Amino acid sequence: MPASARSSPMAINLSPSHSMFKKSRGKSSSSQSPSDAASYLSAVSQADARSRASSNGKFSSTSTPALSLSSSVTSSSEDTVLRTGEDESNHDGLAFPATPPTSEQVFTTVHTEFGHCSNEGYRYTSQHMASEPIEAIHERDPPYYILLSTYVSYLILICLGHVRDFIGKRLKAKAYRELRPHSGYAPLTSDFDSFYTRRLKQRMAECFNQPVTGVAGRTIMLVDRTSDDQNASYRLLGTRTRVLNISSYNYLGFAQGKGGCADAVEEGIRRYGVSTCGSRLEGGSSDLHTTAEALVAKFVGKEDAIIASMGFATNSTMIPALVGKGCLIISDELNHASIRFGVRLSGASVRMFKHNDMKALEALLREVISQGQPRTHRPWKKILLIVEGLYSMEGTMVNLPEVIKLKQRYKFNLFIDEAHSIGALGPNGRGVVDYFGIDPKHVDILMGTFTKSFGAAGGYIAGSKTLISHLRLRSHSGPYAEAMTPPVLVQILASMASIMGVSPASLTSSSHTTLRPVASNESSQALMTSHPGPAPASMIPNWMTLPPALSDGSEGKNRLRRLAFNARYLHRGLDKLGFITYGHPSSPIVPLLLFNPGKMCMFHRMMLRRKTPIIVVVVAYPATPLVTSRVRFCVSASHTKEDIDIVLRACDEVGDWLDLKHGIPAAERWTVQKITERSGELVHPSA
Amino acid sequence: MDSPSSENLFTFLSYSLANFQAAFFRIPGSAVLTRYVKSSHQDDPGRTLLEVILALFVIRTLLQSRTRTDRSGGKHFIQFSDKEIDDLVDEWTPEPLDPPLTEQQEADLAAIPVIAGPTGPKPKLMNTGKPCVNLASLNFAGLAGNEHIQQRAIETMRKYGVGSCGPSGFYGTIDVHTELEQRISDFLGTESSVLYAQGFSTICSVIPAFCKRSDIIIADRGVNFAIQKGLQISRSTIRWYDHNDLSSLESVLESVAKEMKRRRSQKHARKFIVTEGLFEQDGAMVDLPKLVELKEKYKFRLILDETLSFGSIGRTGRGLTELYNVPAARVDMIIGSLAIGLCSSGGFCAGSLTATSHQRHNALSFVFSASLPALLAVSALEGINLLVNTPSILNNLQENVRAARAILDRLDCVTIPSHSASPVIHIHLKTNSTSLHPSTAVVSTKPSNPSSVLPRDAANWTWDAETEEQILQEVVEDALAQGVLITKAKRLRGQELVDPRPSIRLALTSALSKKDTEKAVGVVRSSLIKVLGKRR
Ligand SMILES: Cc1ncc(COP(=O)(O)O)c(C=O)c1O
Repeated sequence: MPASARSSPMAINLSPSHSMFKKSRGKSSSSQSPSDAASYLSAVSQADARSRASSNGKFSSTSTPALSLSSSVTSSSEDTVLRTGEDESNHDGLAFPATPPTSEQVFTTVHTEFGHCSNEGYRYTSQHMASEPIEAIHERDPPYYILLSTYVSYLILICLGHVRDFIGKRLKAKAYRELRPHSGYAPLTSDFDSFYTRRLKQRMAECFNQPVTGVAGRTIMLVDRTSDDQNASYRLLGTRTRVLNISSYNYLGFAQGKGGCADAVEEGIRRYGVSTCGSRLEGGSSDLHTTAEALVAKFVGKEDAIIASMGFATNSTMIPALVGKGCLIISDELNHASIRFGVRLSGASVRMFKHNDMKALEALLREVISQGQPRTHRPWKKILLIVEGLYSMEGTMVNLPEVIKLKQRYKFNLFIDEAHSIGALGPNGRGVVDYFGIDPKHVDILMGTFTKSFGAAGGYIAGSKTLISHLRLRSHSGPYAEAMTPPVLVQILASMASIMGVSPASLTSSSHTTLRPVASNESSQALMTSHPGPAPASMIPNWMTLPPALSDGSEGKNRLRRLAFNARYLHRGLDKLGFITYGHPSSPIVPLLLFNPGKMCMFHRMMLRRKTPIIVVVVAYPATPLVTSRVRFCVSASHTKEDIDIVLRACDEVGDWLDLKHGIPAAERWTVQKITERSGELVHPSA
Repeated sequence: MDSPSSENLFTFLSYSLANFQAAFFRIPGSAVLTRYVKSSHQDDPGRTLLEVILALFVIRTLLQSRTRTDRSGGKHFIQFSDKEIDDLVDEWTPEPLDPPLTEQQEADLAAIPVIAGPTGPKPKLMNTGKPCVNLASLNFAGLAGNEHIQQRAIETMRKYGVGSCGPSGFYGTIDVHTELEQRISDFLGTESSVLYAQGFSTICSVIPAFCKRSDIIIADRGVNFAIQKGLQISRSTIRWYDHNDLSSLESVLESVAKEMKRRRSQKHARKFIVTEGLFEQDGAMVDLPKLVELKEKYKFRLILDETLSFGSIGRTGRGLTELYNVPAARVDMIIGSLAIGLCSSGGFCAGSLTATSHQRHNALSFVFSASLPALLAVSALEGINLLVNTPSILNNLQENVRAARAILDRLDCVTIPSHSASPVIHIHLKTNSTSLHPSTAVVSTKPSNPSSVLPRDAANWTWDAETEEQILQEVVEDALAQGVLITKAKRLRGQELVDPRPSIRLALTSALSKKDTEKAVGVVRSSLIKVLGKRR
């Protein structure tokens, strides 16, 4: 088509942005960068040459030199480990590793996307230890003055807001037009909602909705912006800043634009296009969906799985198909909004229990089973317990062993939302079930999302074959929602296969085109017994060739172990520095308590203005209780130990400034120096 | 009369009061408190009273919230002993979560078409391994498989990866999202727009973001499932008007306006009309100019779901606003899908800046879900560019629609409720005489009841969903045997507010030539005649 060739002004600014960026950055950093960059470059190219020389034969077929990626499909010339095309300077310490690689080390990732870290000491296995309490959250309270000042801050904010509204509505009627009934229309937004947004959230708006560009990997590019009218609107400055990203849900570091998964996705787009055009039941199903669903089922150790194109919608459209009137849902009080959405649509009754409190849960179970349905006292048709594997705001892990015990006694059905835990927990990355070493057959429904660990999008539900068949026909997604797109499916297939490892093609026919790979009974049984095992080669499309490090599962294993190390290291490190943190020490989500709303903005800003800028997520009411505002770190396998050191150092300094260290008494604290030196000791549970 | 005991009581009280006082003064800081109370009482006795009332109020609310959670069963609560509870627990047997599938369900499952390889106008089918002509997938503008879009998607993936790894609020706002939002609002002519990660979940979240319990919504009886769910979540007062019948809408508007005048409490209620541009259930199209006139007259806000019409209707795919030449700014919110019109994924809501920024903070599936993958946003952007630059695409689509309708309209064993320009064509079976689907519009004189979702002549419907589904499935299979992929409109029977009549849904595409379309629709026609003829 003639039009398509013309590059329209609306096309994303791939090329223009480079020059713009270079100009703006060049000035500030030109003085120091060349030496760093040049020396690193030369070191690396030597290493490259050495590795090429030494690898004659070893990597014969798929030789992966230190620098250039093996992605033969990509034609782009910027395809080297070093040049992401945008940074040449390393003044912020983000572009290149502190120590150049040696000849033995072969890195196939871009350091800014996925950090180079070859020290085997910085690894750990995510696994439940009997010695470690599951509910390790002895939540520490801050001193009273902190609580008091927090309440007072909110009080001032609210009073000021009301005063400003009161005066504004009278003196500047035009600016407040949308808030008042005008020409017969009621205001579009309710008073409370808009008050909260205008008077509280807007003051910290700079912490939210920051536009970014590039891969949300180990680092990310911020699109710099500024506000001239107290955050009512923003103006882009035209510059970008590379920052250390400890905020994205990129647990295993699969958010990558280069590497084996990305190559597979490119091939996938060429083969399948961008969309399958329609809903799953009305002509939008492709063989890729079937393949991916079978692999997901194999991954989590269930008979079958169904995929939806959005994680939120997985809950909101499938829970109503599981339970209905006359059923009861028991839900943890901190369950995600998508679960609540689904629960409300289902028409079932709901009861909540205190977060992760097994005693309260048991008491509730005894009550609801004995009382039956309200008024009629008829027994409940079904009781579905919905919990999350890893809670995204708290970092707490569900007490699964206890839940399973209760399940055996009280016969309810169990639904675990593993949005954050799948891939991120367990020695094999199979989620919280794997972490506790529990057989997945004890859990009726395993739900999860691909947004997090797999660097993709969408969600799945896995369960028995009949259950999933019901969901295919009865869930809202089947007939009405768009099917997942091929690029996303391929990303899932590739990342999941590289976590599992692919077992070499066996005697079984490698026709990837079988409709339901787990169709026959015996084969599905064979699959079940080998859980958690590698993916049979027949289960991934035969055109998808992963580099050896991915397909033999070694890289996946490595990522899991790096994530486990990083998570524990940051968590324990912050504890030792004296901060109040929540959650399980093995959780890759590490919340650090700030309390005071004013500190949220300051913390965010101070982390961003450091020599190595760091972006953090701050969360406050209504996502958390009013007083316990927090920052939430999301650790990734793509971080190196040095990155975590940087974060710890930054927190240490900022924490002193903002008076945040109210955890352990000063005498028990460690210095940052000590923490970074003795990281191994911290990570291993004996410490 | 009983003086000694009352005396006892009195001494006991004074004794305990003294004790309490002593204990109170032992608490550090109590002196400060008494001093404070005393001095403030001196300054202003009214304030003490006020503070006491406040304290009491706080205690009351605290107690209340506690009891509310404890009470649960209310007056129906039965006290059991532990033993009894154990017995009841032992006795309780839940229904299975996964009852075996019925035969019908098994058949439905097996009949789901699965495409091998890329989709497009002539894909290969998994089940048969043979190529077929595709009148099932929604590929109106023929963007599926477009090389340019694929190339841009690949480039974007190389720069941004696949997933965005975070919700918009937390570093999930990628520059291409902003760009696409800008592009959409420029394209439609609205002030702004906001992107969602899935088309279906868009309107489910938009409606409850604005419509609360005290608000009033007037909705069409034939709205799609996503809107139904949005209405359910909103808990607003809902009034219904007859499917695509604007005179019915006007009378409902009239009655609601009267009702609101009577009831003071509703004076500040927000008022919305929710309807679709091109109805998903039957392909009918709303008369937008009339609708906008009505909503302006009665001062309602209009939420228009253009999920099907965006990217398929109008000269360049802007939807109904383009077709009827109504400025989009006069429609308060337009919801569209990037998955259907632009063959990408995701959805959007376009409207005023107030409306969209409110959603960024309050729409659940926007706030609590990861943002759209960058490569899909860019694909959608390129889709819009193609539509704008090549108006012939939708022209071809319209020609195909006309060709198809020319073939189907002459068939007298079926009725077609769809609008003559609609690229989705629903085919209903014609049953004899009295049975009337509202879309076949035979006017009954009695006005319908706006509080009930049931259409006025629902009682007269004689069609039997199950047999019709069966017949239509036969048609689908017969057509497939002749190399044309079509589908029934898939429904969640029993979950819809009113079960729509079973239909076959053809989705036309500009990627097929007029001749191919005619041939394929001809096959459908002969399948219909064959299967229905057998039945007679
Ligand atoms: C527990 C839980 N479930 C579901 C979701 C929704 O997933 P997605 O972002 O893929 O829509 C999230 C995301 O934050 C989550 O935390």
